Amino acid sequence: MRCAFSSFLIIWAWVMPLAHTQEPLDKEVQSLKEDVDALTQLLENLQSVVEGQQERIQALENENTALLRETKPPVVERPAQPRPPEPAPAAMGSRISQTLNPDIGLVIDIAGALSESQEDEEGNDKFSVRELELTIGHDIDPYTRFDSTITFSDTEDVEIEEAYVTFLELPGQLQVRAGRMRPKIGKASAVHRDQLDTVDEPLVVQRYLGAEGLFRTGVEVSRYLPQFAGPLTQEVTVGILEGGIGEGGSLFGDTRRHPTYYAHLKNSWDLSPSTNLELGGTYLLGSSGADDRRDVQAFGADLTLRHHFTSVRTLKWQSELYAQKRDDVISTNDDPIGFYSLLDFRVSRRWGFGARYDWVELVLADPMWPDDKEKAYSAYITFFQSEFARLRLQYQLVESASGARDNRFFLQGTFAVGVHKHKLQ
Amino acid sequence: MRKLIVILVCICSFNDPVYAASVNVVTTLSTFADLVSEIGGDHVEVANVAFPKFNPHFIQPRPSHVLKVKRADLFVHAGLDLELWRGPLLDAAGNRDVRPGNRGDLDLSLGVALLEVPDRKQSRAEGDIHLFGNPHYWLDPANAKIMAANIANKLSEIDPAHADDYNNRLSLFHERIDRKMAEWLTRMEPYKGYELLGYHNQWPYVVKFLGLRMEHFLEPKPGVPPGPRQLEFLTEHAKTSNVYGIVQAVYFPDRAVKTLSKRTGLAVVKLSQNVGDTPQVQDYISILEYDVSQLVTLFEGLAAHD
Repeated sequence: MRCAFSSFLIIWAWVMPLAHTQEPLDKEVQSLKEDVDALTQLLENLQSVVEGQQERIQALENENTALLRETKPPVVERPAQPRPPEPAPAAMGSRISQTLNPDIGLVIDIAGALSESQEDEEGNDKFSVRELELTIGHDIDPYTRFDSTITFSDTEDVEIEEAYVTFLELPGQLQVRAGRMRPKIGKASAVHRDQLDTVDEPLVVQRYLGAEGLFRTGVEVSRYLPQFAGPLTQEVTVGILEGGIGEGGSLFGDTRRHPTYYAHLKNSWDLSPSTNLELGGTYLLGSSGADDRRDVQAFGADLTLRHHFTSVRTLKWQSELYAQKRDDVISTNDDPIGFYSLLDFRVSRRWGFGARYDWVELVLADPMWPDDKEKAYSAYITFFQSEFARLRLQYQLVESASGARDNRFFLQGTFAVGVHKHKLQ
Repeated sequence: MRKLIVILVCICSFNDPVYAASVNVVTTLSTFADLVSEIGGDHVEVANVAFPKFNPHFIQPRPSHVLKVKRADLFVHAGLDLELWRGPLLDAAGNRDVRPGNRGDLDLSLGVALLEVPDRKQSRAEGDIHLFGNPHYWLDPANAKIMAANIANKLSEIDPAHADDYNNRLSLFHERIDRKMAEWLTRMEPYKGYELLGYHNQWPYVVKFLGLRMEHFLEPKPGVPPGPRQLEFLTEHAKTSNVYGIVQAVYFPDRAVKTLSKRTGLAVVKLSQNVGDTPQVQDYISILEYDVSQLVTLFEGLAAHD
């Protein structure tokens, strides 16, 4: 009996809690069933939406195929227009103004010089900003382009080195430049200082055309000639400049009244894809003074042989000669001649070196001097930090007509910022 | 003055020879010239400026190139800032038709999805920067299809009489390149994700197409020659990562690459970038054919060695 009572108590204790929870459990089951029903309904709705969309896609594909079949011949799809996301209106305004702004570049030429000479020539025993070159250029309209170079210096006044307009396409395939410019004559005088391979201009250019070459105001017409012989390309240039000559030059007098006429023929041969030979001929006609007209002529010849071992590693041999024929009364030499020869080797992207020999007969030499010729021997090494920065060390021995020998050392740094476009040489 | 006028009259009296071809085309790169020939066939006369064995960033155009551009009906170029010599060349040529935005100007980057487009202000302190994105886009064959379409459209505009020919040749080119793309991807499938080192950052498009990785270069910044610090960094990187080789274009100097190869034991593979830079590469498709073969040889060699 006692055993039966104990068993009853155990069963009662086990069943009673279940009896108490039975009611909420039924409710929960009911709630879950409702949720499942709702989800089933939602799924069915989604299924019908997907089926509807699939039908729409199929209809569009059929339509597309029909359209493509109708198109004859097949049209080449033009690729989408360029890429970056559309700029915000403010950015668009900025882009337009940038596009219309001229190309602006700055080149600074810092040079130090040590010399035994007692003359205070430009840069002698000085460390100076020899030149700060501001270049501004832009297309004026579809037919003309404007280019200018303004130079500042801590040894000279501000100067407009170049400011000219190029008429790009004229009848007869002519190209015309008008304004202040470096005329296309020879090689060294036609380029800016920062394009030279040496710190200084060759002596023949300094003594005949000016310390920085010849640049005057005038009009120049050039044209490429039809190719007569295989790889030979020829460009002929003629021009007229205001009278006068560059600073320190002795070819013509200082007067601006009598114009200077010039002509140049460039002959270029592509000897191979990596070798090019250029031969040029120059003619200049001008006046020695205000009272004289066309009494000085100069004949020039230039030769440049360039071989590219790679796009950077390049060997260049460049020589230039000027011979004068003077009918004036001031010169002490009626037929002075001068030339230079330069060998430049760009070894790598970082390093280059070269040497130049100068020989020039002076137009006006002191009769007391032992000679009327100047000679110079130069050697230089250039470190190209990048395309826009380089350092150059140059040694030069100058044998003057006076008999003096001058040992000179130059250290030059050339740095460019902004848009810096050089004309092709 | 009279003499001057006589000279001018004489100069103008010379006439240019008449060309038989319909369209006279000058391209900057040899690869573009090949694509123009591919689409233009006999209706075009094509010449290119850059010698393919030279770095296309540093080309000095000659008077003969100026004359060719002067007489061109169409000037085809990479756009962007790949050919920094393009402006002076166009200025010297003075051919209004081919100046930017005119009828004879074709910028092949039109419609190409560029990589590495800068998202912040750029400075030259970053090296030889590309302001508009990496300009070596022609090495992705998908981009070559876009470029070829650009060429076909432009040729059809200039020479509408042969538009059907240009479009037919374009379709054939697209078919050929589609077949080759599938083949190249199949060959490169086993090597997906392999990392390579580069000399100059000129391979992002082909690397992306082939499913490879290239994040480090011998040039510490674009255009800056490799220095000891960068070589040290790359040596450490090669030791700690799975790098499979060093990639270089034919025109870059070997010295730094050889030094790195010696230090790391990595093999060097020279890839083609332009038609004609390697004897085996004589058209666009053979650029990729050659490059894929070189890479497969490199990776297979490594597998055999392992």
